[in-house]
Parts: sequence; structure tokens; C-alpha cells
Amino acid sequence: MIEMNEQGFPSQEASTPTGLALGPVIRKMLANPGALKKMRMMDPDEERYVRPPREYDLPAYRQGMKYCKSNEKYLRPTRWCNPREPLVIAMANELGAYELSDWEFAEAAFWFVKTKFIAEFLALNSVSDSLRRGTGTCMHMNSVWVALCRAAGIKARYKSFNMMLPSSLTTVAKTERDRTTANMFNRGMPEIEGEICIDGKWVVGHVAMRPEYLACGYLPIPRFGEDAIGLTFPLAPGATIKRYESIPLWMWFVVKAMMSFIPASMGRANLTILGALLKGSQVIEEAGGLEAYDRAARSKSESLPVDEILRTMKAAMRPELVEFEA
Amino acid sequence: MATPAEIENRSRRLNEKLADYIPPRETWTPADEALFKPPDLLRVPLDEAQELQFKAIKYAFTRHYTYNQFYREYCKTKGVAPGDLKSTDDFDKIPFIPDSALKQHPSGKDLAYWITSIFTGDLSKVVIKGANPTFDDVISAFNEQAGLAVAYSSGTSGQHTVLPRDMKTFLSAEYAMAKIMTCMSDDLLADHSLLLVPKHTQSNLWIAKGLTYQSEVYNDVCYTLDFEISADLARKAMTSEDQRESAPPSAEARGRIIVENAVKWFKRYDKTKDTIRVISPPFLLSQIMDELEREGQQCEFGERGTIITGGGWKMSDDKHVAPEDFRKRIAEVLGIPETRCTEMYVLTEMNGHNHSCPEGHYFHVPHTYLKPFVLDRNFMPVGYDESGRFAFIDTLAGSYPGFIITGDEVRMLEHCPVCDRPGSVLDPVIKRTASAEGRGCSTVLQKVLDRELEAK
Repeated sequence: MIEMNEQGFPSQEASTPTGLALGPVIRKMLANPGALKKMRMMDPDEERYVRPPREYDLPAYRQGMKYCKSNEKYLRPTRWCNPREPLVIAMANELGAYELSDWEFAEAAFWFVKTKFIAEFLALNSVSDSLRRGTGTCMHMNSVWVALCRAAGIKARYKSFNMMLPSSLTTVAKTERDRTTANMFNRGMPEIEGEICIDGKWVVGHVAMRPEYLACGYLPIPRFGEDAIGLTFPLAPGATIKRYESIPLWMWFVVKAMMSFIPASMGRANLTILGALLKGSQVIEEAGGLEAYDRAARSKSESLPVDEILRTMKAAMRPELVEFEA
Repeated sequence: MATPAEIENRSRRLNEKLADYIPPRETWTPADEALFKPPDLLRVPLDEAQELQFKAIKYAFTRHYTYNQFYREYCKTKGVAPGDLKSTDDFDKIPFIPDSALKQHPSGKDLAYWITSIFTGDLSKVVIKGANPTFDDVISAFNEQAGLAVAYSSGTSGQHTVLPRDMKTFLSAEYAMAKIMTCMSDDLLADHSLLLVPKHTQSNLWIAKGLTYQSEVYNDVCYTLDFEISADLARKAMTSEDQRESAPPSAEARGRIIVENAVKWFKRYDKTKDTIRVISPPFLLSQIMDELEREGQQCEFGERGTIITGGGWKMSDDKHVAPEDFRKRIAEVLGIPETRCTEMYVLTEMNGHNHSCPEGHYFHVPHTYLKPFVLDRNFMPVGYDESGRFAFIDTLAGSYPGFIITGDEVRMLEHCPVCDRPGSVLDPVIKRTASAEGRGCSTVLQKVLDRELEAK
């Protein structure tokens, strides 16, 4: 696993510590059997998550289809990302591998994943399984994109970062319980992007959220080459940006643990996502289509710079006016 | 409908009771003039109101630009300075602060520093005791030592809006609340008042602090929530039914006592000829009416009664009742006609409030000192009769920049379709705007877990 820390983003000091708090969360879950039971079991009358049908056809693999056989770093198979699976090769060829330029192919694969996959919480699996299903977490979706690019002979890697969750969920949480759950996700659940190497430069892409999902929150839609950091997600403070050739084992463990311990919660989260997609598609339609929506969302995000306001407030603090006595 | 002479009379009576809230005339700022000069804040002719408003806004913007470092730097990033405001058309250049920024304050020690950044003007030094001061510790320190009236919202959205008011701003806010209420309602001489809101001496909630003046103006004021309410307790007491259901037994018992005491109060004065007035959040009044109905009781206050609701429905969505249906229920259970039921649209960020007219129940904006906007999704002003996000310029906000974008969705009309009061009004139905949900799978999962961890 290769880690690189990123500089160059505006410093955003955490107003409260955002340490990994899985331990306290687990303790609270165990101390609250009622909550734990609810997280593990659905009520009989509760709506169940039903996976929506896949939104694309699966191409058939044919002997002789081109694919990359290199064992060079960022091209070779890695954990849950095997670019040599027949279905991956077939899909890469379907999208134009070895016919389009590297940029064109990477962008085609980017939009394929971004617009055709649906977010679903489930354990990590092979890229072929993800392709057959058409759903997955951000890790699944980025693995599909990375695998497709590697199959096309284009170097690809993962990038993770910890995002600042909306303020309603994090630093202004007033009860210990709120802070605990918020902190768990401030450090325990990173967001994933992909990076594709084109002409010697790494180009970022955020495939893990469909436009409809972003539209539900009136957020701009990151394009290929645009970083979601700053556009869609405020970055959590500290050196949280990391890059990997392969998905770390601990990410598998976290997702597996959650699926094992709290499957009902994961199911409810999946249902919430479907609801958000429906709402978001209505927003896009009302806006007059995807492009019109994105234009409007970008101008909104420019005119409501909450992060900028907060930074300006912080710079204007007058600590000399406050004294603390033990 | 009251005549201008009657309203003037009420204003005079109010000014006598709140004389200490009114600064000497020679010291009046343009914002003071906009508030204190008109006898009826809601019947000022449009051109006169616009002139008062323009001067007040220019004054307020210049003040915050000059004396608030944060706001000045923010304005510089937007390229706006006081000299740019030449006419009312320039007001939408003024940089607004979204309410979400006011909710993203830190906790503990850093909250104290945050207050110093948002405050406009000079501030006395405060000493806060304790290595880990609570939210209320910090706020109380500023209130007690720096002479402020820092208050916060109920936190129903999960986070409290915190705003520091200096005494001048606070007294103006109080006076504005009182005057607007007096202009819309003839209950100044009511014999008994029941306030189903926290008591101002026991809480830093704005819903409590904002009504401090009540005991100075009205007779026999009874507070049913006469116990200390911290920020944390506020959210439990005034938010969702789920949270109330998971509240500890002591809180449940207290809630029952509040309702029982209120029921006794209603029954006691129903038997008399005394006039009564009640201020309550609708969900709490609804619980009281539920109890009366359970007991098979009905009251017949008729024209003796005045009901003022405010704060919106804090319960789960399935308990929300349309305003007209709620007034019908009040008429059935308490015998108070719809024309004597009005509503307040109160915001922690706003000084004064928008009060509904008894004739049509549209929220009238106090347009001499407050300029309302409705913004589209691009945060640009829209025309009348369109829905959008409510924003306003509040010139009474002297100690914080009162240029606020709220999280409420409203529809603004150029004038009330029912009564003849001049100036714009807001449709009675006000909703929360959709929040930026689902910034990631993590957010979705966190919300689900958060909800489930709170459940019993």
C-alpha cells in the first residue's frame, strides 16, 4: 500500500477532534441492545431493499479481445481489482479500449460507471460481480473504473480522503451520542476517488456518485478531471489524502464487519439511497436536464461559500478577549 | 379591524411600559427611527417605509463593514463596500450570510472565540471557568460578564444557531416583538397571559429570551416551562416525537405536568369573564387540546381569548396540521374564533418577527426596518408570487451582521390579498428547504445509524 500525503488545500482546522471512534461506537451499540437489535433486524412490516435492475447490457467476451498483460505497478491485478477478468476485458473493449485515446477511453469509462451504477452497501467482491450487479459502494465503483482502465493499458490507482460531513452531523453535535457516530464517519469511512495516468500526469475522477444522487442535495456533478474535494466534499483536516495501488485490507474489514453486525442498517441505508436517486432525478428533470442542472448547481455553490465564510470568521477571532480559568 | 387611532393608543401605552427600551431621541440611528418612529409598524405607507428602510440599511451595512473584521473581509472578497450602495437596487449586492454558517460554530472553548469573530463592535473580556466549558457555560459567561444577550435556536435541525446580541440590539429586538404584536392584536390589556415557552430567566433559547418583555407589558404572566432548559434539553423537549418517546421518565413526567397545568389554567379562566392570551408553539397547544378533549371538556372563551402560535410544528411530519385546520380546532375546543388566532414567524437570526394578520393570516413583514428577499436556487432574488429561500436584511441587528439567508422556503406576495396593510407578506405555509443530503454513502449511513442509536 502506498500512501502519499497531500499539501496545497486550505487548512481547515477541526474545531473538535475527529479521531477514529469505532471503539466508543461499538461500546455504545453494545450498551444499547435495543438499538443494536434494530440495526441487525428489520421489523416485519418494514420495507425491504430490492436491488434495481442493471442499467446496461453485459457484452460477451470473445477470444482475441485486446487487454493489458503487464505486471507493472498500477496496471497489474490487485486486491478486488483484476483487469484480466473476461467480463472486464469485454466491457473495456465495448467502451473503446485500444480504439480511443487514453483520455477519451478513461472519460468514457468514467461516465459509464458514474451514470450507470447505483450505490449499494455490500461486501467487497470481484469487478465482474460488480459489473453483473450494477451496484456497489464507492470502493466497488472505483474498482470497476480502475480495472477498466488497467485493462485498456492505462495506469490507474485509488485515492481516498476523509471528508467533513455536514455540520448537522459533526462538530456541532451536542450530545455525546451524536458526536460518536459523526466522528466514526469522519475518520472511519473515507471517500474514494480514482486517478488515471495520462501522458505522465495523474488525472482524478469521482465516479462513486450518480448525478441523480448529487442532485438530491443540489450539488455540482464532478466531471472527469475534476476533484470532488472542494466541489462536493469539504476535506477533513489533517493529512487524510492517501493514494493506493490496491484497496487496503482494512477497508474490506470495515465493510464486512458492518454487513455482518448491522445488516438491517445497511439495508435501510440502501433504501435511503434509492429514495435520494428518485428525488434527484426529479430535480434534474425540473432543471431541464443534466447540463442545465449542473450549470445551476455550480453557480449556486459559487454564490454560497460557507467554507469561505467560516475561514474568514476563524481568521477574525479575537482570542485576547477570552480567558479560561481552570 | 382596529382604527389608526386605536393602534396609536396601544403604541403609546406600550411605549409607556417599555420606556426603558427606547433610547433618547437625539441618539436615534436610522434603524432606531425605522423602529420607534411609526406608531403602527405595519401600516406605514410604502414610500415612507422604503425611505426609512433605505437609510437604515445603509447605516447597518456601513456599521458592520467598519466594525466587524470578519464581515469586512467577507465583503472585500465579494468586492462590495458601503460606497456601492447608492439606491435600493443595490441591496442585492450586499453579501449575505447563510444560516448554515451560523450553525457551524465550534463547541467548548472555541465557541467563545467564534462569538468574538461574529460580534460587531467592542467587546469586554470574559473569563470562563472550567477546563471544558459547556455550550451554556460559554454563553452564560458572555451574558453575565460582557453584558450581552447571546441566545440560540432550539436546534431542531440538529444544530443551534448562535447569535450575540448586545444590549441595544436586544432591547430593540424586544421592543420590535412587542410593537408588532401590539399592532396586530388588541390583547395588551388581557387579564391573564399563559406562555407555553421556556422562561427567559431559565434558558438562553431565543424563544425564551425574545419574550423577556412579556412580564413588563402584560398582566399576570404565567410560565408553564419554568425550569432550567439547557441547549441539550431544548432539542429533546422541542423536537421530534421519537426523541420525546425516548426521553427519560423525568422528562416525560415534566411534559405531562406542563400540559396538566395548562389545562387547569384554561379551565379556571373559562369559568370567569376575564380576558386571556396564550403564546405557544402549535404542537404544545395541540397536546393541551388533546387533553381537554380526552376529558370531554370544551372552553368557550369567545372574544375574550387570544391565541398566538409560533415556532412551527416540531413534531414528526404526520402530526403537522395545516394552519387553517388548526385554527378550526382551536375554535372547536377553546371557543376562540379564527380572527383571534394569529401566528408569529420568528427566527433566531431576526429581531422582531413577522406576524400574521387576523384577517387573512398572511405574515406581514415589518418593512420599515426589515427588507425581505426570496432567493432561487442560484441565490438570486425572484419576483413576487414565486417560492424560494427566505433571506432578509435586518437593520436592528447592531451586534452581528443581520444579512441572513435562512433555510426556509417561502412565497412572498407584493401585498396581503385580504387586509389593507401595505407592504409585502409571506404565504402562511412555510417549509424548510431541502438540505444538502447525501454527500456520500457515509452520510446516508451515518444518518441511519444516528437515528437508530437514539432509539430505545
